[in-house]
Amino acid sequence: MSSFVKLNFKIIFHLMGLLIMVNGGFMLLATLVSFYYKDGVEKEMLEAGLVTLLIGLILMLLTRNKRKELQKRDGYVIVTFGWIFMSLAGTLPYLFTDSIPSFTDAFFETMSGYTTTGASILNDIEIIPKGVLFWRSITHWIGGMGIIVLAIAILPLLGIGGMELFAAEAPGPSNDKLHPRITDTAKRLWLIYVGYTLAETILLKVAGMTLFDAVNHSLSTLSTGGFSTKNSSIAFWNDQPIIQYIIILFMFLAGTNFVLSYFAFKTRFSKILKDEEFKFYIFSIVIFTIMASIMIYFQTDVSRSSFSHPMVWGKFESSFRHSAFQIIAIITTTGFVSADYTLWTPFLTVFFFGLMFLGGSAGSTAGGVKIVRHIILIKNGWTEFRRTLHPRAILPVRYNTKAVHQPIVFNILGFFILYLLSFIVGVLVFSLLGLDFQTALGGAVSSLGNVGPALGDLGPGYNYSGLSNAAKWWSAFLMLIGRLELFTVLILLTPYFWRNR
Amino acid sequence: MKIIIAGSGEVGFHLAKLLSFESQDIILIDVNRESLIYASTHLDIRVVRGNATSISVLKDAQVSDADLFISVTSSETTNITACVLAKQLGVKHTIARISNTEFIHNKDEVGFEKIGIDELISPESLAAKEIELLLNQSAFNDTFEFEDGALLMIGLILSRTTEFVGKTVQEVAELYPNLEYMPIAIQRYATQYTIIPRGDTQFKEGDQVYFTTTQKGIDEIYKLTRKVRIEIKNVMILGASNIGSKTARDLCNHGFKIKLIEKNKDKAFDIADAIPDCLVIHGDGRDVDLLDEEQICDMDAFIAVTGNSETNIMSCLVAKSKGVKKTIALVENMDYFQLSHSIGIDTLINKKLLAANNIFRYIRQGEIVAMTKLNNMNAEILEFLVTPKSVVCNKLVKKIDFPRSAIIGGIIRDGEGMIALGDFNIIAGDRVVVCCLPQSIKKVEKLFV
Repeated sequence: MSSFVKLNFKIIFHLMGLLIMVNGGFMLLATLVSFYYKDGVEKEMLEAGLVTLLIGLILMLLTRNKRKELQKRDGYVIVTFGWIFMSLAGTLPYLFTDSIPSFTDAFFETMSGYTTTGASILNDIEIIPKGVLFWRSITHWIGGMGIIVLAIAILPLLGIGGMELFAAEAPGPSNDKLHPRITDTAKRLWLIYVGYTLAETILLKVAGMTLFDAVNHSLSTLSTGGFSTKNSSIAFWNDQPIIQYIIILFMFLAGTNFVLSYFAFKTRFSKILKDEEFKFYIFSIVIFTIMASIMIYFQTDVSRSSFSHPMVWGKFESSFRHSAFQIIAIITTTGFVSADYTLWTPFLTVFFFGLMFLGGSAGSTAGGVKIVRHIILIKNGWTEFRRTLHPRAILPVRYNTKAVHQPIVFNILGFFILYLLSFIVGVLVFSLLGLDFQTALGGAVSSLGNVGPALGDLGPGYNYSGLSNAAKWWSAFLMLIGRLELFTVLILLTPYFWRNR
Repeated sequence: MKIIIAGSGEVGFHLAKLLSFESQDIILIDVNRESLIYASTHLDIRVVRGNATSISVLKDAQVSDADLFISVTSSETTNITACVLAKQLGVKHTIARISNTEFIHNKDEVGFEKIGIDELISPESLAAKEIELLLNQSAFNDTFEFEDGALLMIGLILSRTTEFVGKTVQEVAELYPNLEYMPIAIQRYATQYTIIPRGDTQFKEGDQVYFTTTQKGIDEIYKLTRKVRIEIKNVMILGASNIGSKTARDLCNHGFKIKLIEKNKDKAFDIADAIPDCLVIHGDGRDVDLLDEEQICDMDAFIAVTGNSETNIMSCLVAKSKGVKKTIALVENMDYFQLSHSIGIDTLINKKLLAANNIFRYIRQGEIVAMTKLNNMNAEILEFLVTPKSVVCNKLVKKIDFPRSAIIGGIIRDGEGMIALGDFNIIAGDRVVVCCLPQSIKKVEKLFV
């Protein structure tokens, strides 16, 4: 036993208790929604909330005489198990109200919520009680909030995947410090997050959604989640372009680094325009949208789709809107559906598969590889040519005009290779569990990148309910490691982590 | 004139040496006992041991009745503090040596004069400027600009093909009557004597000749000396010292293609970070394979500015043997100067000389605007401002009683350079460039007071 590393279990469990209590609090909020709409599950929701609060309280009381010191190792455990414990506690409303009777399904749905994936096993969403639906959307929102703290404050400290490069608070090359203290920064970014959510709710309500739908969709847009309250997702509003444009705008904002939003509110626009990642983000969205709109306009027969496409403002506008909506939904890993991209053209199907690897900006709630990493990888690859010609030259990769230190580049290279390996293993396991080639590919990349809709049987027109239990657990695992930037979770699986050497 | 020099390092010692030869009253302050003993045994100066920022030490050096306080220690903060203190204690004029060129760029914003520092001198940036000038006038081995290039001083070695080898100054002047240049100093091949040319002085092969000229005259000199202006594009710099990095940055900004070789990896990374256009190579500049690998043969110029004079000289010789047309070496050891010239290095620069030349003009009498010393030669070039009270004012050049060991190189009137011949009338406001040997400096100064 002595050769094992000593973790500060008490504080770990104490924090888990705290997280579960927070969960319980939000469940009570969902209970209020239940009471407001009188959806018939008020008592069960209340029970779920109280039980969760009680479990959290007991955990916290049992570990109240904890030591406060935290090691780096404790940090990995807290982050990973934080997400797992939240997901476990989050299943209670589904189980208590019998909305999702199977534990596997309930866990999958909660994990998909907290990792802001948006993959669902619900075949008929619209019959689920409103309180439970609200809870489902709120899991996204909490997950998004957690990711902001994680990206801004925790991952840089743990030194994961080159995150120290673009996290605003990190010491080192990027030094546009937002505010010196991490808690202050987190509060500011949360304020922006909450502000955006409120703004979107109001806009959607004004544009014609019901209040309930407006709130739920705002919660899952800002967290780049993708849970909808409608069976046909956003395609339900295909006859109301304005609603879709509002969602496009907020998906775009949610996929942008929140620090840049902060600069925008401080009217420091030059900082935003100089940001390489933002330029790449906006540029790729524009180019891809134009390309896809032209293809949809000329080559696609929309009548084949299971979604109706009324084209209230004409065919061209419809092509443009659905192209922009789907491109942004996939790049930001939100995964809302306005149209079935797998039915557009064979090229666009493969293209969207590729887009799932892109991911949004670092410091946003989006998942995936993240644009900044692609920039560094591409630049490093390009510099490699010059390095071959000048073997002894110092040719650093530049990001935002600053030279990036080699260890960070290695870290990012390592991340990318691990990401690809995880993808390959993910596909292999899915195929072992009986998924066909296309579905396995799509399921792995979509789970890993926290997108939601995938390809084949998991495409935008379908959902994950057809998977076997084992495949659901595997998908949930991929969501977790993808969301926590691989290293955080996978390091717990290495023997080095547990050995005290 | 009473002058206090703080810091008996290379620059300080060199300044003290030059100044003491002119029988100025010098006090040298330093903490290092050995260097003070060396200075006091070799030079006719007074030394005070102690920290230049100590008030008691400054009082001990009688700072209150000094005319000039020059702080040239290696630490710029010491220099700044010492100058501020000295000024408050009553010295008339202060000069501080700095290494961070930011200070010079933001001189007015910070207001150094207000806090008591009259002049800031950065030997490193002077050297970087000199290097750039030399690259632009690549056929010459020495240059100096008066009034931002209104009048230029250039130095070159006469080759056999030069038209005027074997002719006297007089004969050349008759052959080419409209020439826009004036020879001001000649050093014969393999001698150390400096000759101020007169009408009957003959140009010989191998002479190191200095001319003053206007911008127009430069092309004529190119033609007559059969030297070809080399278009310099690719430059290799050895050593990312202060000079190296400043030079690299300046040259990059002016469109040169720069390769910089630096031994220290961290330093190399920092410079690669700071100057994106510059290709930084990590390696030892004495490694010939490395130089070959980086195509030294394709370079137009090679600049060696590491901290080690021997490395600089040797690597310049390597570069020369690989066919690089222009080589510039930073050489701190004055004894190497003559030697390096004779083994074929085009140009040597010396931080000490540059700094000293720059400081020197403050101790000259009369309205001296600029001055320089010729590399390895005995002559000084001074730029005087003519005032209505000056002896030379409203006189024809031929009427002035000029010492034989001095010559008027040219005149700048309203920002325009011109070559002054015998019947040129000097008026107030003119800036007169004079080249003279040390023995006549006093006499020349009197003419312009």
